[in-house]
Amino acid sequence: MIDMIEKEDPVITEEEAAQYDRQIRLWGLDAQKRLRGSRVLLAGLGGLGAEVAKNLILAGVKGLTLLDHEKVTEESCRAQFLVPVTEHGRNRARASLERAQNLNPMVEVLADTDRIEDKPDTFFLQFNAVCLTGCSKDVMVRIDQLCSQHNILVFCGDVHGYYGYMFCNLGPEHNYVEEKPKVVKKSSGDSNDGPDAKKVKVDLNETTMVKKTSKFCRLKEALEVDWTSDKAKAALKRTPVDYFLLHVLLKFRTDKGRDPDPQCFAEDSQLLSQIRQDVLDTLGVASEVLNDDFISFCFSEMSPVCAVVGGVLGQEIVKALSQRDAPHRNFFFFDGRKGNGMVDYFGPN
Amino acid sequence: MADSLTNRAALKNWVQSGLVCVYPGYRQSVQWETKLTASIPALQAEFVAVPINMVQLVGSLRKELADSLSTSKVLVVGAGGIGCELLKNLVLTGFKNIEVIDLDTIDVSNLNRQFLFQKKHVGKSKAQVAKESALQFSPSANITAYHDSIMNPDYNVEFFKSFILVMNALDNRAARNHVNRMCLAADIPLIESGTAGYLGQVTVIKKGMTECYECQPKPAQKTFPGCTIRNTPSEPIHCIVWAKYLFNQLFGEEDADQDVSPDTADPEASWNPEETAARATAAEMDGDVKRVSTKQWARSNKYDAIKLFNKLFKDDIMYLLTMDKLWKKRKAPTPLDWQQLENTGCFPEESSGSGLKDQQVLGVWGYCKLFQESVETLHSLLDEKGDGAELVWDKDDPPSMDFVTAAANLRMYIFSMNMKSRFDVKSMAGNIIPAIATTNAVIAGLIVLEGLKILAGELESCRTIFLNKCPNLRKKLLVPCILDPPVANCYVCASKPEVSVKVNVHKTTVLSLQDKILKERFGMVAPDVQIEDGKGTILISSEEGETEANNNKFLSDFGIRNGSRLQADDFLQDYTLLINVLHTEELERDVEFEVVGEAPDKAPPPQNNQGEGYGITNGNKDSAQPSTSSKVPADDDDVMVVDSDDADAEASSSSAAVTSTTKRKHSDAETGESSTKRPRTDQSSAEATPDDSDDDIIALD
Repeated sequence: MIDMIEKEDPVITEEEAAQYDRQIRLWGLDAQKRLRGSRVLLAGLGGLGAEVAKNLILAGVKGLTLLDHEKVTEESCRAQFLVPVTEHGRNRARASLERAQNLNPMVEVLADTDRIEDKPDTFFLQFNAVCLTGCSKDVMVRIDQLCSQHNILVFCGDVHGYYGYMFCNLGPEHNYVEEKPKVVKKSSGDSNDGPDAKKVKVDLNETTMVKKTSKFCRLKEALEVDWTSDKAKAALKRTPVDYFLLHVLLKFRTDKGRDPDPQCFAEDSQLLSQIRQDVLDTLGVASEVLNDDFISFCFSEMSPVCAVVGGVLGQEIVKALSQRDAPHRNFFFFDGRKGNGMVDYFGPN
Repeated sequence: MADSLTNRAALKNWVQSGLVCVYPGYRQSVQWETKLTASIPALQAEFVAVPINMVQLVGSLRKELADSLSTSKVLVVGAGGIGCELLKNLVLTGFKNIEVIDLDTIDVSNLNRQFLFQKKHVGKSKAQVAKESALQFSPSANITAYHDSIMNPDYNVEFFKSFILVMNALDNRAARNHVNRMCLAADIPLIESGTAGYLGQVTVIKKGMTECYECQPKPAQKTFPGCTIRNTPSEPIHCIVWAKYLFNQLFGEEDADQDVSPDTADPEASWNPEETAARATAAEMDGDVKRVSTKQWARSNKYDAIKLFNKLFKDDIMYLLTMDKLWKKRKAPTPLDWQQLENTGCFPEESSGSGLKDQQVLGVWGYCKLFQESVETLHSLLDEKGDGAELVWDKDDPPSMDFVTAAANLRMYIFSMNMKSRFDVKSMAGNIIPAIATTNAVIAGLIVLEGLKILAGELESCRTIFLNKCPNLRKKLLVPCILDPPVANCYVCASKPEVSVKVNVHKTTVLSLQDKILKERFGMVAPDVQIEDGKGTILISSEEGETEANNNKFLSDFGIRNGSRLQADDFLQDYTLLINVLHTEELERDVEFEVVGEAPDKAPPPQNNQGEGYGITNGNKDSAQPSTSSKVPADDDDVMVVDSDDADAEASSSSAAVTSTTKRKHSDAETGESSTKRPRTDQSSAEATPDDSDDDIIALD
């Protein structure tokens, strides 16, 4: 027997059953109950954050805390539909609160305007899952470390222009169930039926639940893969180049304290080109692995890309909290120019 | 592997033969070119290497593209699950001129994903509320909402021509077929999409360049033989279909094809063929009389629930038992007797399934009582409506749903099947396709990304993209595939569409030709039919009343015989189909016609519902032939209204239809490889071994 995380057993009311009918038909009542007992922290209320917030609130988690210290600006809210257009200059979390809450009155939605860097460790322990968007690499690594010590599910994600990614760390042992068709034993013998006699068929739709476990690594390990070994070099050909792009964009964020800005296009493009070279050199990866082609397509958050990445990320959070279905391990990368979405594992084997 | 090679060779032949204009043939359309002038700078700039210092961005987009968005007018067909997400993405991306159409109103079960709606909006027009909510995201946008069916003749070819791009966010095949034809006629690019559970697909359709929506045969509509429903049900779905028929026989519109009484002409029931023939004749003779009498009988007994119960679940079953040959190889049914059940004492209500009331399975007596209560409620509803009134079955109407749950379960019990909860019966009876916000969000995002390529003049870089539940062997969760060229003999997008249809000209009426063949099968809305007999005899006119007198006559009455040719026109769709009539007397029982080259069993099997175990009727709403909803009413204005039955499925047909057809044959965009795929028949297995595109076929070899 695999132990499922013990959570209070919330009762699904008839009202909730009516509203969640179409998803209960997909993931079942047990999954919905687990979701209903889960509290989530969402950091970063940009375009991707808004998508994730929407998806989690609609799915029906118990509580969602929106954490963001930044102010609403045109550029940071291009793809942000939770912030009313009149709210420029207000705190992004607070400005998003009303619309977020209206998506589903049955979910407790809170806004928190503190800097994530200033939050004490204990703050994070009240959540079942933490989703970080728009955060620096250092913050993500710190919180990932902290949360995985306390069995808190960790998700990270960002959108840069046509590109986006998500990462998850569900801990060293994530248990979940999967629905499998029931193995049907074929009845023997009676092939000698009358002309058209039809046998009573076994219900092909009968299914059974199978318990499974999946293993995850920390973000730090996932970002520190050694590319100099022969094995790693051989695997390079099948590695999504987006992984290296992520390194470049995280480095830009660390260096500049912000993301590439369309207003500073020429300057930022040059810097991106420089960082690309530096990052590939540092990782020991040949420079033709990632060329400069991405540069003019990685500015600002693009709404449809937020929708795609936020959809996948939101669903992964739902899956992990409800312990239903195999999680994507451990990165998802989306390239909106190609329409390509890859899942790949980075980290120790 | 062999398949993949064949296909690649075929593709190459296509190109070489010059039959199709592979890229960039779309520019040959003058009208389209005119429209593109607005985006011609973008055409040169977007996705093409441009010196960095020349680039100017508005958000993530090149300025030229951003500018062209603000002047382009686009149409969104459907404001449901995909439509809501799509409207949000469009306004946030910078589209300023959007029209949206949907005939549906908001239901509480929409609220888990159609996020532009709130509880206070239940009952209001989806298009209208979606417009108002989306405007809050971008007050300067210009959005027009139509609370209407896209199949309404007001939306003619001229209407479609006023857009630079049409995006479908539909949930039924009839409307998809129709918009496909309108976009072909108007020569406007169409982005088609669909979702079902965790799965989704987006594809681009452009006349002369890609397959149209109807180039690939869709999964055959799932129907059950009359005798399976009436005599020998072997699965719960058979009992549920029977219960829905029974609802119509008792309270709704009686339909000769929905008889629920024992079928004495079942060929399987007789020991010799002569007897079958005799019984068939007898059945045909008294057929109508008997059918009317089901309702008559109920009326004359004042809908007494117990009498009704004993007739349906005792007497009819006992009659079935007399057809002894049926029970030689299968378990015989057990009749139920009300009084006896009652006397056995209201045995303790054994019930299983936890939590919600709807998810519990009652005991037999529980369903007896539910049957009684629902019959009484429905009878009084019928009475209130007055003489000659009829009820329409609706899964969201509690007494209707209770009735079907009770009647279906009693029949399941009689035929030794495990009974089903009301929740499960509702899934099957209502053809409910589970739907979630995240899948719709992903698909709507992909639609806009394809739309941007079209506006940038980069149609050749458009793809059909599949969203899988799990990554495939190539690690892809989202799989872009190259668009296939049009199918040469497609009965819709070929330059001179033509089909051959096998019918019995002595038994097929003109009305059947119109309703079942032209409307239901070939997706016409208001056909005009002329016989190519040298005289141009008009068989069917779309003008009301002109040819009504022909309706009940047989095709042979007009001299139509083997080899006759009919020209069917749909003025609205600007579509003409030439039909070669092949007379045959050898169609199977319950089969009225057969399209040549598309024998029913040749169509790809309908896909299963990703391990959710709902069975075939869920695959797509259109396939649910036995459902009352799938009948296309003669009054074409409101064809979609009847779909309220299944209107919650985002894309229903969609995924079943879109996915299972296109899925069979597509090329991986990156490798450029093209290969024939196994149809997605079993999605449940996709969880462990990712249902895979071409990749694993190649890998396995």
